[in-house]
Amino acid sequence: MVKELLAHLFKKPATSKYPFVKAEVPEGFRGKQVYDPDLCISCGLCSRDCPAKAIEMVEVDGKRSPLFHLDLCIFCYQCAESCPRKAIKSTAFFELATTNKDSLVLKPGGPSQKGECVQQ
Amino acid sequence: MGSRVKIQSGYLGKAAIEVKAGANRDTVKSLLEANKEAGIVALTGLDMAKKIGLMYHMCTNGVIVTIKTEIPKKNPKIATISDLIPGAQFHEREAADLFGVIFEGHPNPARLVLPDDWPENLYPLRKDAKIDEALANAETAPRQTEAVQAESEGDIVNIIIGPQHPALLEPEKFSVKVEGETVKQVEPRIGYVHRGIEKAAEQRTYLQDVYLVERICGICNSCHAACFVETVEKILGTEVPLRAQYLRTIILELNRLHSHMLLLGHAGLEIGYETLFQYMWRDREPVMDLTEQLTGNRVISSAMTVGGIRRDLQETDIPKVKTQITTLKKKMDFYYKLFENEPSFKIRTQNVGVLSKEDALKLSVVGPVARASGIAIDVRKDEPYEAYGEIPFNLITRDEGDSWARLMVRLDEVVESINIIDYALDHMPSGPFRVKVPRVVVAGEAINHVEAPRGELFYYVKSQGTAYPERVKVRTPTFANIPAFINIAEGGNIADVPPSFVSLDPCFSCTDR
Repeated sequence: MVKELLAHLFKKPATSKYPFVKAEVPEGFRGKQVYDPDLCISCGLCSRDCPAKAIEMVEVDGKRSPLFHLDLCIFCYQCAESCPRKAIKSTAFFELATTNKDSLVLKPGGPSQKGECVQQ
Repeated sequence: MGSRVKIQSGYLGKAAIEVKAGANRDTVKSLLEANKEAGIVALTGLDMAKKIGLMYHMCTNGVIVTIKTEIPKKNPKIATISDLIPGAQFHEREAADLFGVIFEGHPNPARLVLPDDWPENLYPLRKDAKIDEALANAETAPRQTEAVQAESEGDIVNIIIGPQHPALLEPEKFSVKVEGETVKQVEPRIGYVHRGIEKAAEQRTYLQDVYLVERICGICNSCHAACFVETVEKILGTEVPLRAQYLRTIILELNRLHSHMLLLGHAGLEIGYETLFQYMWRDREPVMDLTEQLTGNRVISSAMTVGGIRRDLQETDIPKVKTQITTLKKKMDFYYKLFENEPSFKIRTQNVGVLSKEDALKLSVVGPVARASGIAIDVRKDEPYEAYGEIPFNLITRDEGDSWARLMVRLDEVVESINIIDYALDHMPSGPFRVKVPRVVVAGEAINHVEAPRGELFYYVKSQGTAYPERVKVRTPTFANIPAFINIAEGGNIADVPPSFVSLDPCFSCTDR
């Protein structure tokens, strides 16, 4: 026990200093999704396959586009897999906690869809 | 039995035996005569319009034999088999709740999974159940309150543990009758987190169901997904590429690693040894990181899909996985020393909560609980699935049957899991990692079982030839192991209830579904 005690006196803590030091996520992490309206062909497959029914197809400027309800999303990325044009991509962004539920709705063409993070 | 019986071999397990409703007891009896160690795996109910189908999935010598019978829906009565196999009690109570089957002669036909204020004569898994109507009337319906609370008769005091209790992390209730410090009787009640996932699965496509069943249990999520996709693949007749089988094995073993380490740490917490809890969970963290690296999320892996695996293994990931598991294996030496020598650990676990081999067989327990009582069962060995048939590993058993043995079995299995991952990485075949499968599944039915960290996990899926399953039945390992807790706790000390309970590694979100 003494050995264990002495060893721990000089060790760094096992915990990380999050949120002061940003947590690193590996490549391919299933974070908040971004969607590229230019690639979308309005097929609606993402909405049909979504297990959580978190994707709604809405009409924007005469084009049917997906609207993501991130508060319902389970981040399985079936939408990205079903998309025939690879228009849905993952990001490493995971800090989605918010006090405003509306900020979790990703409207097509809205600022949150261009890849930058929205924080309220 | 002659003309009353129709046997189909190689169907629904090793064989399906079709019998008339009255002959179910005789068939079970003759199975038990042939093999005294036979037990029940699951009891699947099935709505067949005018009839209710009942399937007794029996386990004998590691393989499943299904006894099929039908009873009229108007008069759903059948003789109980729980006097022949005590482990069938819970299965029959569940079928009674969900299908309204009356098991004549059942010793305790009380509700098990449905809430006490659920309307009578509404059986949720029947296709004609008007659940929406019942939900709309729920506000005005008279609410029954749970009658029995803490009370005493003479020297016997009834203590209610749960549904909300500091020593239990999930909601479940145990009415424990004690005389002094000695436990005299235990009455469990589950169903507090029943979410109706079996019913929900009928309303989603096979593709969506993979993600749904994965969420039955956060800890053994990959096992649920793997078992479901394997069942669907059996109906489809899909050959999964060898590389996918190896990759699935790695994900499943990572799952087992983190689950066992979680439990071993949690056991430390329950016996009041919090340093062990902190150490174990610190060392478990790299396993979570590896899962995140390989699948994209540290808990819910979402790696399985019908026809293979969703993500290929990158060559660059292999060295990282190897280093991490080698470090982990070295760290296990420390825990071996601790578990074998630390007096404060041994005093709370050794010779506490002993489950004898005979009782374990009678109650049809599964997984590490059975293996710690000297029963050599492991689906990975008995009916190898994925790549387990090609990977050498040891089946761990211990004979003590106490809490300590149950924890030691898991510690041994951590080392075995590390070896399996190591072997699978070295022998990883090349080739495709998934095949394309149709969205619509041909009509048919299949059963499948896998070895989840807590024991044998069982699935039954029936397809009508559409994109939606007709029935999905899930029998989780804890559901089979809870009756053993009654056996373990009775006659013991009340202070030993939490540590011996946790040594079963119970998961109630699994059990309730």
